[in-house]
Amino acid sequence: MAHKNPIRSFFASVKLAVVLLIAIAAASILGTLIPQQEAAGPFIARLGPGWSSFLMKIQVFDVFHSFWYAALMALLALNLIVCSLDLLPRTWRRYRRKDDPDRMERLADLPAARIVVTGRDREEAAKRATSLLEKIAGPVTRRERGERIFLHAHRGAYSHFGVPIIHAGVLIVMAGVMIGLFSGFEGYMTIPEGESTATVRLKSGRGERVLPFSVRCDRFVLEFYENGAPRTYRSDLTFLQNGREAQSAAVLVNHPVTFGGIRFYQSSYGTMPGGNPVLTVVQRERKVMEVEIAPEMAFVLPEHRATVRVLRVEDNLMDMGPAVKLGVTAPSGSRQFWVFAAIEQIVAANPGILEQVPLFDPASFAPYLFSLRAAERRPYTGLQAARDPGVPMVALGAAVLMAGLLVVYFRSHRRFWILLETADEGTRIGVVGRSSRDEAGMNRELDRLADAIGAEEEAGT
Amino acid sequence: MIDAKILGATTFVYFAAFAFYLLRMASGRESWGRWGALTALAGLAAHTAALALRWVSSYQMGIGHAPLSNLYESLIFFSWSITAVYLFFERRMRDRSLGVLVLPAAFLFMAYASLSPHIDSRIQPLIPALQSNWLVSHVVTCFLGYAAFTVAFAAGLMMLVKGPAIQTGGKARPAGTAAREENGRNPGPRRERSVPARFMALIPAPAVLDDLIYQSVVLGFVFLAIGIMTGSIWAHHAWGSYWSWDPKETWSLVTWLVYAIMLHSRYIRGWRERPMAVMAVIGFICVLITYLGVNLLPGLHTYQ
Ligand code: HEM
Repeated sequence: MAHKNPIRSFFASVKLAVVLLIAIAAASILGTLIPQQEAAGPFIARLGPGWSSFLMKIQVFDVFHSFWYAALMALLALNLIVCSLDLLPRTWRRYRRKDDPDRMERLADLPAARIVVTGRDREEAAKRATSLLEKIAGPVTRRERGERIFLHAHRGAYSHFGVPIIHAGVLIVMAGVMIGLFSGFEGYMTIPEGESTATVRLKSGRGERVLPFSVRCDRFVLEFYENGAPRTYRSDLTFLQNGREAQSAAVLVNHPVTFGGIRFYQSSYGTMPGGNPVLTVVQRERKVMEVEIAPEMAFVLPEHRATVRVLRVEDNLMDMGPAVKLGVTAPSGSRQFWVFAAIEQIVAANPGILEQVPLFDPASFAPYLFSLRAAERRPYTGLQAARDPGVPMVALGAAVLMAGLLVVYFRSHRRFWILLETADEGTRIGVVGRSSRDEAGMNRELDRLADAIGAEEEAGT
Repeated sequence: MIDAKILGATTFVYFAAFAFYLLRMASGRESWGRWGALTALAGLAAHTAALALRWVSSYQMGIGHAPLSNLYESLIFFSWSITAVYLFFERRMRDRSLGVLVLPAAFLFMAYASLSPHIDSRIQPLIPALQSNWLVSHVVTCFLGYAAFTVAFAAGLMMLVKGPAIQTGGKARPAGTAAREENGRNPGPRRERSVPARFMALIPAPAVLDDLIYQSVVLGFVFLAIGIMTGSIWAHHAWGSYWSWDPKETWSLVTWLVYAIMLHSRYIRGWRERPMAVMAVIGFICVLITYLGVNLLPGLHTYQ
């Protein structure tokens, strides 16, 4: 569109639209070739610090959330809006345009014109043609000029709106995406069986969010097919509001559950240590103490005025299983050593290890012997929690876009003209048509119409 | 596994159809074209029966699901879609020239599915992520779209093969009856010409190919739009968000945008014939990357 205002004509141009679409496609391709977000870690590590900080600054490792990708989208939206300002009035004019029935005269030399001759007289032929035309294209306008009768009808003028509808659909989808970005969230919850939590870890390290209710995992169920492939992942959940059980539901893959406007999806599962390991202290075959331990805690062995400090708690030390490092302070001196849960197996597999590595000897502080019982592991469920108020808008936009596509590609504005004039043998009839799309389909329809008008029999009408 | 036997036979039927179409192009006799169309239709019928049998036997195994769940089944269905969409256009356009390029595609996907040692043809149970009603509508619409783009690609290739020398030129000419008549006169058997010359002469007029490219791209564009939408609905149910920019999603969007660019250029800038043919080829490369190429990239969609 040529506008006086060059800025407006720039943003209305389809050239810009094509450039933007190419740029968006290229940027998206880049986003699939360069590792993104968490996956980018090893890649970044291999680059020099200068490069990596530069690339990170221009958000090459998070293309789809980068400012420049958003800018491209915003430009596309602007382009669409401005171009629609031109397109809508144009479409309206096309929709409203009235054709003259006798415009036919100028069309009659078109190659697509069909000429038929019937034995009926002119008025009778005109009646027949009118009723046939009415059937395929609605109300017929008629004009007589001298010896000639002109008929005109059209259908599907609304199909001109298909393109603006498609574009509106695209804009509505974009608006829905924006709503989701600004007022929704997405994150994960890890809930051990039997416990409840209200905390969601937000995606891409955006911190935490505490829900106004908590979610308890009553059970996590994993079933397998005979061939060992997984068949079902299911979490039985209970939602707790103000400490009361508000609702119970099962979440499966492909079957999310909504509570309080937030949807919960099954996303992962696993086992985690349940509670703390237990340290047992034995003196000459007699159990003197059993404590549940945690990092940094300390306790006293009364008989020798010794203080035992838990220095470290490891799930799996050097691949030898759970272990704790103890520091004992007593009047007789202080020492540090490790206590392994699986000490018997370790000694059996490495005879003499306790002599070589006294640090691993659980009897380092005689006469006491320490032993460790690892915490039992228990299953947890990994849920994804999401709230996206933009979804209905996105769905609406998609439906509008789809409707527009169907209108554009499977409907067309078809205009028909028929001219009747008296000839020697009876009446000569010319049939002409114009279609906004699908010329081939229009030609077939014109052939059928001309044949029907020319048919001498009333067969099938 | 009776279905696998039928599918194996179908592969050869498609090859035979290709041979007939090739004979038509080499000899200029339309009767070979009729044989090609008939053979392709027979192959499609057998193919359909095999898919139905496979579906039924999955139920007999107690793990009933539509045969659309792994790479093997998707290749088989892609091939089915290609033949079906091609035969649709063959009827619609009343022209059998394209079979010689499309049938090999159907044949190659079948052969790849049956012969590649990395592809498991057994019926497998559905893992939880695929247990959804959206699986069928998503996969079917995507592959019908891909198949339409395959037909457009073949037409584009033909246009490029024919080369600029025989181009009639002329922009924005409506591809109506005029073009078809021009083409209709062509297939007369002209014995004096060499085989390649006859082959070239049988390639439809650029305006006819252009029309075919446009119509098949439109069909593919609409199907791919539905495919992306059903996929989003499914993702919304399975993964918690309707769009996660995983490589397959991203490439399907890229593919769709390439065809959107193509349609805008045609409608507004009046691109016809050669540029459209080039775009059809570029678009098809995107389709192949979306379908198979992204398996090389990490993501949620990767076929096992
Ligand atoms: C993702 C974004 C877009 C989509 C999916 C889209 C889709 C479409 C489709 C399917 C058509 C019909 C083409 C045909 O006849 O085959 C069309 C036409 C058109 N589009 Fe777009 N479009 C998009 C963006 C834009 C933008 C940004 C502009 C801005 C200039 C634009 C301007 C037009 C115009 C002027 C027409 C022709 C309308 C007419 O004269 O009837 N489009 N669009």
